[in-house]
Amino acid sequence: MALKPVTSPDVEAPPIRLTVDGQQVEAKQGVSLYDVISQTGKTIPAMCYHYTFDPFGSCGMCLVMVEGKKAPVRSCTAKAEAGMVVRCEGEDLFLARKKAVEKHLTVHPLDCPVCDADGHCELQDMAFQHGVTNLVNAKPKGLPEDRRSLVLDFNMNRCILCGECINICKDVQMVDALQFFKKEGTTHVVAKGDEGLVCEFCGDCLAVCPVGAITNKYSKYVYKPWQLKKTTSTCAYCADGCQMYIETSGKGVQRVTSPLSWKNKWGDRAETAKGHGGLCVRGRFGFQYIDSKERLGAPLVRTEEGFAPRSWFEVMDTVIGRLKALKAQHGPNAIAGLITARCTNEELYLFQKLMRTAIGTNQVDSSARYGHLNFTRALQHAAGVGRVMNGYEEITKANVLLLIGTDITETNPVASLRVKEAIRVYGAQAIVATSRMTNIAKLASHPLRIAAGSERSFIQALVKAAVEEDLVDEAATTAAPEAFAALKAAVGGLSWDVLTARTGTSRAVAVESVRLYAEAPKAVILCAEGVTRQVEGYASVLNLVDLAWVTGKLTRPGCGVSALPEEANEQGAVDMGVAPELLPGQALYGDEEARGKFATAWRCSLPPPDPSATLMEILKRCRDGGIKALYLVGENPLATLPASTGVREALEKVELLVCQDPFLTETGRLAHVVLPATTFAEKDGTFTNLEGKVNRVRPALEPYEEARPDWEIFAALGTGLGYPMEYEAAQDVQREIMKLLPGYYNLGEARPVIATPEGYLRNGFAHTVAVRYAAGSEADGARPFALTIGQVLYHSGKLSTRASGLVQLYPSKGRLQMNPEDLAQLQIGPQDVVRVTSAGASVELRTEANPDLARGTCFFPEHFNEPPIKDLAECVVDPTTGVPAFKFTRVAIEKH
Amino acid sequence: MTAKSEGKSLLREVWDALSFSEIRTAMRVVLSHMFVKPVTFQYPREKRTIPDAHRGALGLLRYDDGAERCVGCDLCEAACPSRCIKVVSAENPERPLSRYATEFYIDITKCVFCGYCVEACPVNALAMTKMYEYATADKRQLIFDKKRLYEVGEKHIEDAKRYLYAHNQEKNDAESFQYRYKFPHQVAGLTPPQDS
Amino acid sequence: MPQPLEDQRTTVYKVDPEHPANPTLPTLRTEEMMLNMGPQHPSTHGVLKIVLSLEGERIVKATPVMGFLHRGVEKLAEDGTYHQFIPHTDRLDYVCAMYNNFAYCRAVEKLLDLKVPPRAEYLRTIVAEVQRIIGHLFWLGTQALDIGAMTVFFYTFRDREILLDFFDELCGARLTTSWYRIGGVERDFTPDLVEKLRQFCDYFPPKLDEYITFLDTNRIWLSRTKGVAVISAEDAINFGLSGPTLRGSSVDYDLRKFEPYAAYGECQWSVPVGKNGDTYDRYWVRVEEMRQSRNMVKQLLEKIPDGPVMADMPSVTLPPKDKVFNDLASMIQQFKLFSQGFDAPKGEIYCGTEAAKGELGFYIVSDGGGKPYRLKIRAPSFIHMGAFDFMARGYMIADIVTIFGTYDIVMGECDR
Repeated sequence: MALKPVTSPDVEAPPIRLTVDGQQVEAKQGVSLYDVISQTGKTIPAMCYHYTFDPFGSCGMCLVMVEGKKAPVRSCTAKAEAGMVVRCEGEDLFLARKKAVEKHLTVHPLDCPVCDADGHCELQDMAFQHGVTNLVNAKPKGLPEDRRSLVLDFNMNRCILCGECINICKDVQMVDALQFFKKEGTTHVVAKGDEGLVCEFCGDCLAVCPVGAITNKYSKYVYKPWQLKKTTSTCAYCADGCQMYIETSGKGVQRVTSPLSWKNKWGDRAETAKGHGGLCVRGRFGFQYIDSKERLGAPLVRTEEGFAPRSWFEVMDTVIGRLKALKAQHGPNAIAGLITARCTNEELYLFQKLMRTAIGTNQVDSSARYGHLNFTRALQHAAGVGRVMNGYEEITKANVLLLIGTDITETNPVASLRVKEAIRVYGAQAIVATSRMTNIAKLASHPLRIAAGSERSFIQALVKAAVEEDLVDEAATTAAPEAFAALKAAVGGLSWDVLTARTGTSRAVAVESVRLYAEAPKAVILCAEGVTRQVEGYASVLNLVDLAWVTGKLTRPGCGVSALPEEANEQGAVDMGVAPELLPGQALYGDEEARGKFATAWRCSLPPPDPSATLMEILKRCRDGGIKALYLVGENPLATLPASTGVREALEKVELLVCQDPFLTETGRLAHVVLPATTFAEKDGTFTNLEGKVNRVRPALEPYEEARPDWEIFAALGTGLGYPMEYEAAQDVQREIMKLLPGYYNLGEARPVIATPEGYLRNGFAHTVAVRYAAGSEADGARPFALTIGQVLYHSGKLSTRASGLVQLYPSKGRLQMNPEDLAQLQIGPQDVVRVTSAGASVELRTEANPDLARGTCFFPEHFNEPPIKDLAECVVDPTTGVPAFKFTRVAIEKH
Repeated sequence: MTAKSEGKSLLREVWDALSFSEIRTAMRVVLSHMFVKPVTFQYPREKRTIPDAHRGALGLLRYDDGAERCVGCDLCEAACPSRCIKVVSAENPERPLSRYATEFYIDITKCVFCGYCVEACPVNALAMTKMYEYATADKRQLIFDKKRLYEVGEKHIEDAKRYLYAHNQEKNDAESFQYRYKFPHQVAGLTPPQDS
Repeated sequence: MPQPLEDQRTTVYKVDPEHPANPTLPTLRTEEMMLNMGPQHPSTHGVLKIVLSLEGERIVKATPVMGFLHRGVEKLAEDGTYHQFIPHTDRLDYVCAMYNNFAYCRAVEKLLDLKVPPRAEYLRTIVAEVQRIIGHLFWLGTQALDIGAMTVFFYTFRDREILLDFFDELCGARLTTSWYRIGGVERDFTPDLVEKLRQFCDYFPPKLDEYITFLDTNRIWLSRTKGVAVISAEDAINFGLSGPTLRGSSVDYDLRKFEPYAAYGECQWSVPVGKNGDTYDRYWVRVEEMRQSRNMVKQLLEKIPDGPVMADMPSVTLPPKDKVFNDLASMIQQFKLFSQGFDAPKGEIYCGTEAAKGELGFYIVSDGGGKPYRLKIRAPSFIHMGAFDFMARGYMIADIVTIFGTYDIVMGECDR
């Protein structure tokens, strides 16, 4: 897409001077006159303008008088020129603008009473501001409402043809799903091809629509703005940390809106590098689970007849009594706890404190164990940085982006907009290495199709290419000559034949990619589940660090290695020390001094580092009978882990299984006690997003029935177990964290990170590097298909499957996605049942064609387990970090 | 404490006091009223005539064809100074594309009978009636729900129409017909069925 | 057999002066007595409590304790649009709701610099004067009742009913009228209503003479009002008194004359002024004001000009309802005005209006938004309570009812 010099923030243009309402203003030649006027603090009405995209000039409101011109000009499409004399106010301009509004009003229906935009409508505001009273010859269009699309309804009667929806879809989202379409003499906004909408359903078009032409099916006709209470909070689905407004009325959540709307159309284009304020489909349309009828309303206790609701008092008494008894009988290590990373920082902190103090065990883990810990542990070990190295702004302004093993538009849709902006506005080169033709690969300058599951080999190939082609940074390698020598030797042991066979790409491709990467002044590596959740994920991340190091990108500003966590607060879980090897602030648990510091602060002796157990180890000990009581907070291992891990046996074996969750999950059904917890919309706290920014979560609703925020339950348990936890609000916990980890909250801004790889390169690098560049075992020829169980855009974990809106968008189809050519070759029709067989299990299901998938691969969304496809996978536990890898497996497919 | 009408002779004063002249003057007025028809009513046997403009209990109205006028736009809720109205709106399942109020509550215990809701209503679905006798021992009865409001509206439809007329909300019956809010009916017919 | 009362007292109060413990105590001791009057006393017209210090029957100090009827009206104003506050003003001085509406609307109009059409100004003036008659009739009846003359109460209330029924026909409510609107009035007079008022103007003066007959010839009334609660002109001004309370003290100050607003400049009338500043003079001033009001109504009724009763300012005033149904611009206006209100210009404004009780002022601070940033009500009843202690000192406890009756206080306005 060509860059328009109008508003691109980086464009080089000579500075000029012009006069606006008698005031001297400096500007760049050729930028939009409207932006120049906005800079002076004046706001001229404009209904088609939004700072996130280029001016369009359809509404005719932003009229100004330019000296030397007879008629008023549209300032948004006019370009600033030297010596211009501009007048923005005056009776004539007011009347001209009034006329423009009247033009829109004459074809607008008499719709305010039933329109969802009423009270939040720019056309209303403009008509009122300009004192329009009498409309002559009003002629509403009388068009039928377009209800063909999911989620969004298009009412073209109300449309003022401002084109904001089309522009934001094209320019910001780069999805380009909407277009103008002339039908029977009137212009409509329709989905491409005048059919039902096929897009990412981010809803940005809905947010910027200044009238009620685009409406939300899930909130249609149920609210008026004055009935709603608006609460600013942070989205709990992924780790992008989007700010959202939860709008509630007495009945519950009515809709979710974003800071992006036509109301904040005035801004600096350069600001969008930090985020454009929008949401994705999950955040905007996936709110139904918050006040779902399936929510747990009271604590449940398993009796002989099934679950029976009990009072909190009784249930807490039972749980505390059982825990005390088990602890007295078998010692503290008979108890273990797991927590989900969808909890707030305060709750995560309190949970590990509860386990380590009140109970006295180090058998505590979080869902960051499913992958993100591979990344943080590796980066902590190699570079002394315990989190993602690049914020949104650095990603946006990078020259080269290397995306490996990530389907970023599906997993982190809003973060993907930063990549898109880098490509579109800042002209970045994007190298996307993936087996599927993902959406971001379609936009990338260098989409590389690599074989499924070969991310590890591809990274090895890149490092090898960098070393062989001498694309190394002199300063970085000469500082650690021994390490470089060891690396050279290690990659030397790899053969190109093996690498090209594994990855399905040639050496030239690897060399070209790494050349681009190495030669860019600012280059960022983004990886995700394809690296961190795979076998040897820890080693792969270290290999990426090697790549960054040898090319000199590890310590250079604007460069770095970053990974995208899945759940909202995985980074927070790591930072709060909810892992047996870590203490809050990512201090190592084995570090005597750090442990002493926390022991003093908590006025309690901490359990020794041994025995401690990670997720898989905890489950193993449950199975072995070493752990008698398991406390699960929001975790649902039964639905997450494949059956081959023996998770069911483990959960059935324990004497006391306590589940704390907003919903009755599969695991919850096995529990002895189920405690109702609240969702993020009912609690106070913070989430740490992938940038490392700590975002506030605010309660928008009162807790559902008897449900309580997790931290309250932890505090009550701790106090009951004899360790007083006297917190009155989440802020009390926050204050404690602030004291122990000064600067963690950092006023909601990400703290800058500085990579310090020196120690790592000097000590031990040489010993471990050889292992990391081992070729690994060959794929099994008997099972030719690569099955990936992964995330889709419309869902996040199992939580989103409770949101009826998202299920409507992407229901559980129970179909295996395959490449159409493979389907044709195997002669599988849409109604045919296929048998999918892996090393350990076999499943029968139907298929559907997905042309984006590479041949020889198939895909199933991880959110659904009907049929139980996850059980096909075998689980490989990372030797260093204990991360279980079970999202990728090789299967044989035959027609049944 | 020594106030006395000035300019009276002592004799006159003594005479006035002896002849109870103050009482005589006052009693003359009072006695003359004995022959005047009383101005009071023997409520509840007699009731006063309530003027058309009277702001009594609120009722919801229907069109002559029986359709609910209310489209659930919630403007009455916004206009209400005492926040006693609660409207829950949704899409009408029977007539797709039209909005209607699924629930409509007026908390009469909070209502100040200012008539702003009637003034605000863009379809004249609300009107005040001459009904004032709804005293009850059960406070919950005073939260009028949609059903009750329509009942009031149906029972007092004539009063409601007169109220709207008196307060310049509607002209006469023939003219008022054209005010009907037509949008949902027109377009519903043209809309293609929703893809499922 | 119970002891005689006399004996009990002596045992309590008799102090032996010879006793070594009490060498200096006198044989008889007097002390001030504290007496709480109200908040449930019937003559306090609401819920006012007065803490009296008495020396025998004489008042040494009288401290009014207010706030029993506090509803936070000023705070409520900050939560609604300018328009939504009108019904709240009904409940300030609830016997003269129309005047409160008037004073508030005038203040907002001053803030907006909004000109009200002449017909509306006439209607406003007429109704305001009718409201003044109602207020004074109410005062007269209750004041007489408090002092013990019960008959007057019935007669004044009978005539007040006529006017309240007139209000009912005019706007639909007898007390909580909300008839005034920012920019005009809600509803025009019908010919029927004009005729009713005309009839009242003829009916009223003889009736007024009747009440006077009851009171002016009644020595109890005279002796309980003349020379009671005297306040000099200087003191009255210093205490900030206004209305009949001020004019009873021979201060010729009436806002209607002083800075004529509405249609007060369009008719002949005079300001009755008392001489002595006692309760009787204030009574006289109010009776005379009723006569003047009746004269004004009579004059103005004949001269009402034709025209609209609502200003035409689309950003403030509501569109006519029939246009709302048919015209999109009017519908938008209707929705914006009711859901968000109009944005008043940034600034502060004070506007005083001569209500039945005195100067009723509204002080509005606008931050440029659709709701008042701060609204302060200068309620005459509240200001008058400031002079209560000053005026009550030295009088008998039986006079206390007369004294707070003489201000014509209404606690709804006092406590707000």
